[in-house]
Amino acid sequence: MTEAAVKEEKKITDEGLEVGVQNLTAERIQKVINRVLKGESGARLKAYVDTCVHCGLCSEACHYYLSHDKDPQYSPVGKVKQTLWKMLKARGNVSADFIKRASEIASTECNACKRCAMYCPFGIDIAYMMLTVRRICHLLGVTPLYIQDTAHSHAVTMNQMWIKDDEWIDTLQWQEEEAQAEIPTLRIPLEREGADIMYSVIGPEPKFQAQLLYQAAVIMDVAGVDWTMPATPGWDNSDMAMYTGDNEIMGRVKRAHFETAARLRVNRIVMGECGHAFRSVYDMGNRWLGWRMPPIPIVHAIDFYYELIQNKKITITEKFKEPVTLHDPCNVIRGGGLAEKARYVVNAICEELIEMHPNREHNYCCCAGGGVINCGPPYKMTRMDGNRIKAEQLFAAKSRGAKILIAPCHNCHSGLEDINHHYGLGYEIKFISDILYEVMDKPA
Amino acid sequence: MHSIYNFVSGPLAWLAFILFIGGCLYRLISLMVLVHRKEKFIYSYMSLKYSLRSIFRWSTPFATENMRRHPALTIVAFAFHICLILTPLFLLAHVTLIEESWNLSWWTLPEGLAEIMTLIVVAACVFFLVRRLVNPEVRYVTSVSDYILLAIVAAPFITGFLVYYQWFGYQTLLILHILSGEVMLVAIPFTRLSHMLFAPLTRAYMGSEFGGVRHARDW
Amino acid sequence: MMMKWLKLILIAPALVGIILLPAFSQEDMEVVDDGGFSKKQRPPAIFRHDEHNEKAEIEDCNECHHVYEEGKKLEDESSEDQICSECHDEKGSGNTPGLRKAFHTNCKGCHLEQNKGPIMCGTCHVR
Repeated sequence: MTEAAVKEEKKITDEGLEVGVQNLTAERIQKVINRVLKGESGARLKAYVDTCVHCGLCSEACHYYLSHDKDPQYSPVGKVKQTLWKMLKARGNVSADFIKRASEIASTECNACKRCAMYCPFGIDIAYMMLTVRRICHLLGVTPLYIQDTAHSHAVTMNQMWIKDDEWIDTLQWQEEEAQAEIPTLRIPLEREGADIMYSVIGPEPKFQAQLLYQAAVIMDVAGVDWTMPATPGWDNSDMAMYTGDNEIMGRVKRAHFETAARLRVNRIVMGECGHAFRSVYDMGNRWLGWRMPPIPIVHAIDFYYELIQNKKITITEKFKEPVTLHDPCNVIRGGGLAEKARYVVNAICEELIEMHPNREHNYCCCAGGGVINCGPPYKMTRMDGNRIKAEQLFAAKSRGAKILIAPCHNCHSGLEDINHHYGLGYEIKFISDILYEVMDKPA
Repeated sequence: MHSIYNFVSGPLAWLAFILFIGGCLYRLISLMVLVHRKEKFIYSYMSLKYSLRSIFRWSTPFATENMRRHPALTIVAFAFHICLILTPLFLLAHVTLIEESWNLSWWTLPEGLAEIMTLIVVAACVFFLVRRLVNPEVRYVTSVSDYILLAIVAAPFITGFLVYYQWFGYQTLLILHILSGEVMLVAIPFTRLSHMLFAPLTRAYMGSEFGGVRHARDW
Repeated sequence: MMMKWLKLILIAPALVGIILLPAFSQEDMEVVDDGGFSKKQRPPAIFRHDEHNEKAEIEDCNECHHVYEEGKKLEDESSEDQICSECHDEKGSGNTPGLRKAFHTNCKGCHLEQNKGPIMCGTCHVR
């Protein structure tokens, strides 16, 4: 006597959403939706909605869609249908439960990776529409709890991880000391006005990835870079408020960041291997503040390593032996055009690069970015089930010999760790700097 | 019949063209006003080079990843749009009517070719209909309006074909043909057929963003 | 009524052309002769000469078989001894419309004026 196995559908409970919807009234929902759709939005949203011919051609761009056996609810346009179309059609007259589901879709079932923008024949920016939905949910106070917490952290501390001002300096000095064991003359120059470069990182680096600060310091030191790091708030380039739709906080955080660089009178801001932070300083935050392009040139780590290696500021002792594959993060590849430079760097430091397919602009998303991983543990399985296609893609590269997975982006890195573990892929995942640090020519 | 024919081919045709051209201008201008009022920054990102790069790329069959993924749809969609636009513009009967009214005329399609092109449009509409009904991802986002739009587009070509062969009630069908053509013209600016106006703009903007800011391909 | 005739005369420079193949006797005539067209794209227009003129009460030959000189119709002259394409070549030149336009304005133009007779493409060019 056996019973048919029933696939267990685990209901996600997220306090941010549960509590948020309790405070909603029909009037408030309608007011906020109309404020955003009629007030804040303009020609783009109108053109996108009016131009879409419901052809469904964006579907195959989306890793959620592909991973859910082509379930149309997960296609980009399917997500627009379940959120924006209904809001527009009902003129904002939607239920609290609808808002809850809309928030879930926009915040956890879309990584805003913009792969679909490359598949829509009209170039409709569906990620923009999903971010518009997030904006509505934010103004209604219905945002997943964990990411809302990071947005609060940004608002209070100007960094993502509730890191106190002295902890930040402390961590830098700790890593400086650690690195001095290897290179006794090494410094992490704090607050050096007039330096060529301000190096900026994301909150999680001092919080729990301090070795990345160490590696960066060694790379800077060996390459003889004229650099500095700020000892004040504004050091963090990350921005989860950008992903909750809290544009006002996004603007404050970015202003603090740029003003810090301006105060230090640096020529450029070099940032670590992070994708969303690049998007926030290069694409979204600067625009919110009224700058067409970043007011101070932003150089992503990939670009910076490229520069150092090409100018022979850094030489390689012996290339990394094990075959690697390279994950192209959306925000710096599709969003920053660094695909070829990333390959240049990887080929310069590794013996063998085995490409995964698709790659470059067409690479599958990690399913962590766009703030999704920041929505926290309740949505881990959303990410795992939603990115089987990534596991298949990685598995194929592995079967062709790749052993190490390079992910030059923090969100990708963490998301791929989860995928790697969940699907038992057996990769070792590294940042470029992990390998660069290992293979570069350092003073003995 | 004289008076009905004269009405649909006279005042009503004028009205249809006025609404079509006026509607198109209205939609384009009001969009520009909206850009000017709220999203002026869009102008600063627009790049002629990358707009054209993107439009050209997406106007070339099989030049994009997604087109290669759907070869049948790509062929049908290109054939459909080419025939949809060229057939009515270069149809002998249409040019003859314009010649009679305004003493203007231009090259016309051989009748046999026009016939094939008409059938291509109708067949493509059937293809799109089947696709809407059969493909889950298309069906999911299909509403009644999508079927109505498809019918609006197919009607002038179906009636045009029947009228050409003078099958069924010729005079009634001819009037229906003219009416359906007028309905389609008016529908262009005021329905999602407005992608005729807006798609080049959205394409140009995305092309500019990808080319000028993101330094990446948008295909 | 007078106004209509007046109008017809006024727009006369645009109204031109007419047919009749001498080889055929008019009683036998079923369709308009389309011999002047190098490429025939539609069936020739149905036209029974005598029946038409009886019904339309047309007495003067030059109602259709006109002669124009310097843009003016010559009231006393007619051209039933010629075929239309002698004057109206396919292209047309100056004030003389091309053959297709000449046929259309001569037949359909009058039908529109009189509010009688066929005016839709397929009602003359019957398959």
